[in-house]
Amino acid sequence: MITFAPGNLRIPRWTRPVYMVAAGLTDFRKRYPEKKLEELCMMAFRMLLEENDLKRDPLDVKGHINFACYGEFADHFQDQLLCEAKVHDYLGLDLLPNVGIKTGGATGGSTMLVGATTIASGMSDCTLVLGWERMDEVKTWTGNYYIASAACKDFETRLARNYASYYAPMARRFQEMYGVDERVRAEIAVKNRGYACSSPFAQQAGHHTVDEVLSGEIVSDPLRFLECCAMSVGSAAALLCSEELAFELSDNPVRLFIAGGSHTLRTGDRRPMRIPLLPHETEEGYRWLYDEMQKHDGRWPGFESFGAARFAAYLAYGMAGIQNPIEDLDLVETHDAFTISDLQTYGDVGLAPYGREQDYVTSGECYLKNPRTGQQGKCPANLSGGLLGTMHAVGATGIFQCGEVLWQLQGKYDKFHGDPALWSRYGRQKPADWQSLQVKDPRRGLAISHAGVGSHVTCAVLEKGW
Amino acid sequence: MTILNDKVTLNTAPAVIDEIGSAWVVHNPRFGPEGTHFHTYGLLTPYFRGLTEGKLRATRCINPGCPVGNGNGDLWLPPRADCPDCHQPMVWQEIDNPRGYVYAFTHVARGGTGLEIDCPYYQIDVKIEGVGTILKSYLVDRQPIKIGDRVRARFHTGADATHTCLDLYWELDA
Repeated sequence: MITFAPGNLRIPRWTRPVYMVAAGLTDFRKRYPEKKLEELCMMAFRMLLEENDLKRDPLDVKGHINFACYGEFADHFQDQLLCEAKVHDYLGLDLLPNVGIKTGGATGGSTMLVGATTIASGMSDCTLVLGWERMDEVKTWTGNYYIASAACKDFETRLARNYASYYAPMARRFQEMYGVDERVRAEIAVKNRGYACSSPFAQQAGHHTVDEVLSGEIVSDPLRFLECCAMSVGSAAALLCSEELAFELSDNPVRLFIAGGSHTLRTGDRRPMRIPLLPHETEEGYRWLYDEMQKHDGRWPGFESFGAARFAAYLAYGMAGIQNPIEDLDLVETHDAFTISDLQTYGDVGLAPYGREQDYVTSGECYLKNPRTGQQGKCPANLSGGLLGTMHAVGATGIFQCGEVLWQLQGKYDKFHGDPALWSRYGRQKPADWQSLQVKDPRRGLAISHAGVGSHVTCAVLEKGW
Repeated sequence: MTILNDKVTLNTAPAVIDEIGSAWVVHNPRFGPEGTHFHTYGLLTPYFRGLTEGKLRATRCINPGCPVGNGNGDLWLPPRADCPDCHQPMVWQEIDNPRGYVYAFTHVARGGTGLEIDCPYYQIDVKIEGVGTILKSYLVDRQPIKIGDRVRARFHTGADATHTCLDLYWELDA
């Protein structure tokens, strides 16, 4: 049993507020031989400087940058250590300081977190956060070999060398303990890949059906092909500022709160503990769940939930003053590398009680347009298309998520997804049936960045700052 | 290696081991002999050595001052040399005739490059009697399984040993 001392539960108190004013993306592809990695990073950097309605010329904005934080998941893929130095030079940022950040699948989120602390501490007034991944130098199954290096080398890597096979037992256990209908998992794949159809950045958009997902090839039982994200290439960037500079550069800067949690890499080593409660939850409210767990030799977080995500949400909600996530949040980007991790996350971040995640999805509140009510869902999820539909160029992912939430809060979904010129920039044609996925007047959004079967998770709350 | 038509087999040669002091250092060839990684099992060597002798060894904390174990901590598998709760060295304990049940599982249809287990097979997470943690391993049987199925430990020993975690596997306990 893990227990916390009071000191462990301190809510972070930043010295000064942190704002996000701009984002930039490349499009994302499984293979991108047309451009070198640095050239892709320049694409994201230029969009950040030139297309976010900043009130200064791009080079003037660049003249404010004090620090850069770079996210890259795995050096293996490119056979290049210190890629940060190459990118930094290519963006013309020498001799400014930069650091590289690595926390597996949560690398993008952790890069945002470290970038935010450079602003919060006064180290920097303006920090570039930029991430990338280039996974196309090797064949897919060798890529899986590399990614499986993020399982425990001594005790687990040799048992699959394919990361889906480390999530799949969690899916199996979650499904059987909570009586999850696999059609609900499939529905998540259909929804997120469907939303990707509105994104010019998306790598694997598609209008699928639940039956199509369920009849697909199995990657690792019970996860099917369309329930898993793909190898991806691309870059994402964010610009973080102090309050004073944020309003100097932008009429609609977004306040950023971000925190993280972590848990051991081996799921089976996660010892039982009491659920750390969010502000809207009570111990009494989970009595039924503890009773239920006893019947199945269950434990929290066990294989069903992500303790690191719960801890990150606990800290971030404390920072941002979130009292009840389903009421206080207007949209969320989950780390849907696999359908099961999307489902599990709703309990971790308190959008649904633990054990009721399936009911939350079938309630329709995770849709932009709730299929049950025809009204806007309470907290639409992964309107960006998520990892399943749009991208998982790992080091860029958590930054991409924050960028998509930023644009939603600024009311710029259409600007960054509906402009035919943007589609053609990436060699794509805007679909005739394109639909706007702009949330109506959102105030706050959430972005969850997640690594290694839940080893590292960051939780970012973005809030309208104007 | 074990060769039974309906059983899962391995497609690997035994890893070369150097014994340096009390530690096993396993060779992980990457780019031929000059590009081999020499990976130590360190203080966990008794675990890997034990597998090749048909023994499953776990660790536990016996420090009376440990705030969690209070001198009688749970068994850890995978083992660890030091207690995470009090930081004192743990002690080894052999588990006789290890048995448990399938806590979670997946059917691996295809693994990544370099996988040494012949697909398809069940990767299983085993709740072992008397052990606090849940150990990831694989099942030698290929017939359909479910959560709760009883299993018992088996080992690749002697000349069959790979000197890796693959030396422990499980079979259905009828």
